[in-house]
Amino acid sequence: MGRYARKKQHKGDKPLKEKYRLKRKTKDLDQIQEDMSPTKSQRLLNQEVDLDKPGAAQHYCLHCAKYFISTAALKEHFRGKPHKRRMKALETEAYTQDEAERAAGMGSYRAPQHRGKVETQSVKEDMDTEIDDTDKKQCG
Amino acid sequence: MRLEKCYFCSSTIYPGHGVQFVRNDCKIFRFCRSKCHKAFKKKRNPRKARWTKAFRKAAGKELTVDPAFEFEKRRNEPVKYDRQLWQNTLQAMKRIEEIKVKRQNQFIKNRLRKGKELRNEADLKEVEKNIHLIRAPAAQARQLERRLVEVIEEKDEELMED
Repeated sequence: MGRYARKKQHKGDKPLKEKYRLKRKTKDLDQIQEDMSPTKSQRLLNQEVDLDKPGAAQHYCLHCAKYFISTAALKEHFRGKPHKRRMKALETEAYTQDEAERAAGMGSYRAPQHRGKVETQSVKEDMDTEIDDTDKKQCG
Repeated sequence: MRLEKCYFCSSTIYPGHGVQFVRNDCKIFRFCRSKCHKAFKKKRNPRKARWTKAFRKAAGKELTVDPAFEFEKRRNEPVKYDRQLWQNTLQAMKRIEEIKVKRQNQFIKNRLRKGKELRNEADLKEVEKNIHLIRAPAAQARQLERRLVEVIEEKDEELMED
């Protein structure tokens, strides 16, 4: 055996699959800005233990929509450039289809509003203690 | 027939063109071509890509606020067919387009006028600053004359000696 190549069943599928692959799709800025509302952020920052998520979903960066394995990793992430860049990007209103249409001449164009400075979320120092003032990071 | 606008570049999407992406929160994103779709997948900001309408409007390159923009709108109201209305609308569309284009062009002209003024100002300043580098043509002619006269005089002296 081994002389015959395996017959390919789905030869031309790859580009199509890659085109519609959404496995690695991350949240868009407008979704994150929705998440930043007090009720949603409260829920996202105090998640149930989920063993499928990195760090059992206990160390979540709200603004980058990312799970970290430990508090140390989360803090390290806060010091990094991608996080700071993201904070800056979240300061202005997210781009929407409505804005695209206004830019196309369906109605007058409105410049994006400034939402105010975004603060990094406060970190739970110890796993055992409960922190009450977690909604400090919300602003604007 | 509904003509949609591209999420990224704001161009018109005619039926049968482009692709659309439906996010898992039911928001629909339409793209006129793969260029725009790819840019979206790369999470580019349309306000920062210089070739999009959003950039041009956000950066003040084009006319943004004008009553002429208030005509083309998504009006989700069915209108009963009426020949007179139809004819009037067609006529109005042409006229409105004409006016809109005129105003947009005028806006760009006005915007560019500022640069022209600045350039003229800079040129004047440069000339004023470096005027000592060039001599007046009259002064130059006089100098040339004097040099010629000197040469001739020298020649005369040589002849006299011989």
